[in-house]
Amino acid sequence: MKFYVCIKQVPDIDAPIQIKNGNLIQDTDRTVLNAYDASAVEEALVLTEKHGGEVEVVLIGPNQAKETIRKALAMGAHKATHIETREESYDSSVYASILASFFEDKDYDVISCGKQSQDTDAGLTGSMLAEHLDLPYSTNAVALSAQNGQLRVKRQGDAGQELIALPLPCLVSCSNDMNEPRIPSLKGIMQSKRKPMETIALDALEIDESALEAKTAVTGYREKPKREAGQKFEGEPEETARQVARLLDEEANVV
Amino acid sequence: MSTLLTHIAISDGKIKRSSLEVLSHLRRQAEQHGHQVEAVIIDAEASRYTGQVQQYGPSKIYTVENPVFKNHLNAPLLKALEKVIEQADPSLVAFASTESTKDILGALAAREEAAVLSDVSTFELTEEGIRATRPVMAAKILSENEARGDMILVSVRSGSYDLEEQASDAEVIEIDFSVDDQDLRATLEEIISSSGDTIDLSEAETIVAAGRGAKDEKGQQLISELADVLNAGVGASRALTEAGVMDPSLQIGQTGKVVSPQLYIAVGISGAIQHVAGMASSKVIVAINKDPDAPIFDIADYGIVGDLYDVLPPFIDELKKIAS
Ligand SMILES: Cc1cc2nc3c(=O)[nH]c(=O)nc-3n(C[C@H](O)[C@H](O)[C@H](O)COP(=O)(O)OP(=O)(O)OC[C@H]3O[C@@H](n4cnc5c(N)ncnc54)[C@H](O)[C@@H]3O)c2cc1C
Ligand SMILES: Nc1ncnc2c1ncn2[C@@H]1O[C@H](COP(=O)(O)O)[C@@H](O)[C@H]1O
Repeated sequence: MKFYVCIKQVPDIDAPIQIKNGNLIQDTDRTVLNAYDASAVEEALVLTEKHGGEVEVVLIGPNQAKETIRKALAMGAHKATHIETREESYDSSVYASILASFFEDKDYDVISCGKQSQDTDAGLTGSMLAEHLDLPYSTNAVALSAQNGQLRVKRQGDAGQELIALPLPCLVSCSNDMNEPRIPSLKGIMQSKRKPMETIALDALEIDESALEAKTAVTGYREKPKREAGQKFEGEPEETARQVARLLDEEANVV
Repeated sequence: MSTLLTHIAISDGKIKRSSLEVLSHLRRQAEQHGHQVEAVIIDAEASRYTGQVQQYGPSKIYTVENPVFKNHLNAPLLKALEKVIEQADPSLVAFASTESTKDILGALAAREEAAVLSDVSTFELTEEGIRATRPVMAAKILSENEARGDMILVSVRSGSYDLEEQASDAEVIEIDFSVDDQDLRATLEEIISSSGDTIDLSEAETIVAAGRGAKDEKGQQLISELADVLNAGVGASRALTEAGVMDPSLQIGQTGKVVSPQLYIAVGISGAIQHVAGMASSKVIVAINKDPDAPIFDIADYGIVGDLYDVLPPFIDELKKIAS
């Protein structure tokens, strides 16, 4: 099976953040492989280890995002394409259009995405890309298997888990509830340096000007109003427990 | 004057409260800006729900009724929305942010070449489109966004707006709809539903959430006793859904559900930012944890430092007394 996994470099949400004049400023330039994409890579590796095939990762981003591509190669992906952009970041619909133009002349069985970006939680690119490529798709997958030329997806939906069979080729967006992504071994890291990585300039992809124009814009950031810590009770559990129960009734009026 | 369309989500034979919240908000916006609000119900028994939707003041209700909508499948849902949009020609389509919405929102935006903002906490109309607030960075930060264009799609987090009735005698328009196998594109083989008649967490007034600290059988027993006394929904941290102790649909947080109950009781949960992302807008938060430095205490209105096995029995006992 041929898997393409779309991976994104995102800021590490655990790193300290500040807001200055409405701009988001991270004290470090710590970035990571989007956790949901790491799960997508892991699952593609597991399925190709079982059924044979190849995993290729695709990333759109500036030069410094190569670091994230190497992480996926060190996990075990076989090769990579880096669609290189300048520093700016785009909205989901622009990323989806760029990816669509990249995939136009490619052969594959499955395109995997993460279910959302860890920093923005947008959750749009996967199904947008499926629509552009006219592929059957499923989102929020929590388990995958391959059988009889189909991809079988367990999807976390509103009414429970939906077991869906998709004909190939198809697209799936993955939840991190799917698996625990492997930590690259030293050998994996060494090998990653020799794996093929093709870099394509964004301009080389002949994308419609209008598709590169974002229809949405972030106009600013602000601090979320902080929740103050309330009362903390330490001491005899028998007493504190009863006291808090009564406060919920008499003070907070929520029971 | 343009048309603002609200999608009415149906789940388990009931209208999702969150889509009525969106409809209420949109009706107020329409009044302010001189637009009209319409609603669309796509379900196997869509016409059953028109009476209730009329109570929230849309001027038209489109229904798309077909047995295929008994369960969620993205391809027919997209086809139905496309048909309704063609007829209603809306400038804005608003959704409650459910798992079904998340499954189709991007694809619909691509199909309609519409601008889209997902999972907003508030939004309002502007001259060119909408302005909306979205939580980002695991909900530590709020971002201000604009979307513009001839058509805009938006999905709204549950609990963002109050319900407000305003009865109308909205005209009901049935949309002719059929599907063939070709349209389905995928086969739904099975639905593995979560155990029985559990309370919908996104609409629950009270939630008792269990974390790794309450992993064993005795912990689970105490959790369900506590939930029973409070008539609460039971939620979980990822530590417990991952371990298979709790059903995955009960996970609360960045990957799981976003909830905003009146009362949230976190038992044996450390308060990792990805968990907090899903519950920080609860009205009152209670934390029970044996580690006095657990980050959950930083956002808890009432924190009890102690072993949950010692704390919960008297806590449950006292709540029983209050209830009776
Ligand atoms: C991309 C991403 C998305 C994620 N999404 C989610 C999500 O949606 N939801 C989510 O929950 N997590 C999510 N996580 C995981 C999250 O980071 C934490 O790992 C998880 O929330 C921890 O669960 P926990 O608090 O139950 O466990 P722990 O962090 O292990 O905490 C257990 C707590 O229980 C306390 N405890 C232990 N024994 C007792 C006792 N006897 N009495 C009282 N207290 C006790 C301990 O002091 C500790 O504070 C995500 C992570 C990533 C990277
Ligand atoms: N710059 C990018 N390069 C490659 N894939 C991307 C990029 N941006 C988004 N994606 C894919 O889309 C998913 C997230 O979509 P969204 O939440 O809409 O940003 C990610 O998990 C990736 O699979």
